[in-house]
Amino acid sequence: MNLFKETLVLLRKEALLELRMNYAISGILLYVFSTVFIVYVAFVQLQPQVWNALFWIITLFASVNAIVKSFIQENSARQLYYYSIANPIAILLSKIIYNALLLMVLSVLCWVGLGFVGGNPVKDVGQFVLAIFLASVGFSITFTFISAISAKADNSATLMAILSFPLVIPILLTLIKLSANALRLLNDTGIMKDVWALVGIDLMLLAVALVLYPFLWKD
Amino acid sequence: MKRFWWKALGVLILLYVFAVGLLTPIKPGIAELKVGNAKAGQTITIEAVGYNTHFAEAANSNRVWLVQGADFVLPALQVNALNENMLSLQFDLPPFLPSAKKREEFSLLFDNPIDGRFISEQTIAITQDSIDSQQGKALWSAAKVEDLSDRAGMAFPYLAQLKETIRNLYFHVSLWFAMTILFIAAMVFSIRYLRHFREEDDRKAKILTTIGLMYGVLGIITGAIWAKNTWGAYWSWDPKQNMTAIALLIYFAYFVLRNAFEDQEKKARLAAVYNIFAFATLIPLTYILPRMAESLHPGAEGNPGLASQDLDSTMRMVFYPAIIGWTLLGLWIGQIYLRAERLKAKLLDDFT
Repeated sequence: MNLFKETLVLLRKEALLELRMNYAISGILLYVFSTVFIVYVAFVQLQPQVWNALFWIITLFASVNAIVKSFIQENSARQLYYYSIANPIAILLSKIIYNALLLMVLSVLCWVGLGFVGGNPVKDVGQFVLAIFLASVGFSITFTFISAISAKADNSATLMAILSFPLVIPILLTLIKLSANALRLLNDTGIMKDVWALVGIDLMLLAVALVLYPFLWKD
Repeated sequence: MKRFWWKALGVLILLYVFAVGLLTPIKPGIAELKVGNAKAGQTITIEAVGYNTHFAEAANSNRVWLVQGADFVLPALQVNALNENMLSLQFDLPPFLPSAKKREEFSLLFDNPIDGRFISEQTIAITQDSIDSQQGKALWSAAKVEDLSDRAGMAFPYLAQLKETIRNLYFHVSLWFAMTILFIAAMVFSIRYLRHFREEDDRKAKILTTIGLMYGVLGIITGAIWAKNTWGAYWSWDPKQNMTAIALLIYFAYFVLRNAFEDQEKKARLAAVYNIFAFATLIPLTYILPRMAESLHPGAEGNPGLASQDLDSTMRMVFYPAIIGWTLLGLWIGQIYLRAERLKAKLLDDFT
């Protein structure tokens, strides 16, 4: 089986697993909606600037919570079985793609939720969707890779937060700028330069993650 | 001696950096020009406040010109040294400026046998009501600047905003360069560990990261002190300050990661993987993203650390050796640390 086919099969497996053990995804959804509800109770009226900050905070924490389980939800015997029949790169790639899709759904839900309680300040929908897409891909690459590292430790959730938050800040800084532009909080005509920088960072992290992963999984 | 030459070299270079970097004087310059309204056709008085100058000592040999480019020159009517750092100047401005504009900027060129020649950074704006550029050009090119003196001895350039703090270049900037070199070396040893799985490589990677991080912290502290003196605050949430702080956090997390594992082999493998990944994020953090943001820090285009015009040849003579010196000192510290770590490992082995 080639890498592409393997990845697709594994991707299907990830989705099936998620649907069968639906407590994980419902837990994340519950997290998003309860946070949005708390935000509504606390603020009632949301300024665009606050909206922007809260959107990314909620998305960031929802992403960490969604991805931290990537490598620990299945027991080690079953993982060993996967590694014996599949290419480790295909396993990582399928998890990254799956998590990216999951994060896109999550952030759109977060957008809908926040829009429902606090209004929708997004002026440039295309740019905001682009920001969500780049965020999902960037978060997914970084968090999936770090969760693979932290899964080897006992207190993986804490380690995950310590390792991944500084790593994700460069991505987040550019994203906040991009989404602030989509909300018309600032008017930057050279924003495409930032988008390309972000795409470059994402691709570089992906390449490094794929090269390093084969060293990571064996125990 | 053969084995220690590089340590001796490192120490010698650093001694040279400290001695030359701290003792070399700053070139004379003008800190402030006090000037009223300057209009063509009037006689104006300018008070120049010098820095490191010897106006009183040079007494009557002080000469000053108002200049614009190389062509338009006006010598001072009267030059009075009030004290070493104060000069009172009088100019008899011609009725027309050498241009068709209402307002033109001129610099002051100073010359005396002790300080040599130097030009004020601050310019003087002269206005004119009636315009006659032909006549103005003739009036302003009557005089010539001749027999300029040269200052004897080595000196660092004078920049009004930096003054003596310009010497921090040999500490702040070169520590960061040395840090990058050490982090690259740590990454190389991490890659080597993943290829051969030798404990020694992991030890070296860890030690180089520790020293690189130490240099990074020293670099951020010296940078904050420099910022206090030039920007007015230790920390002004400048993009470059933020990015470097995050870069250091990423490397601090490396040690948290190492402490999270008991098993030596697992710890070494995961730490090596994280070290390479961390270096990959260090590149955009310190070399790509800061260039795209507005910053107080010099060097937005090209090298993010410093702009090329900030270095002159006398500073290069100290700056480049400083990078080598700090790197060699770091390697020496690393070697001692490495020996201690080896002994620790040996003790543990003997024990179990």
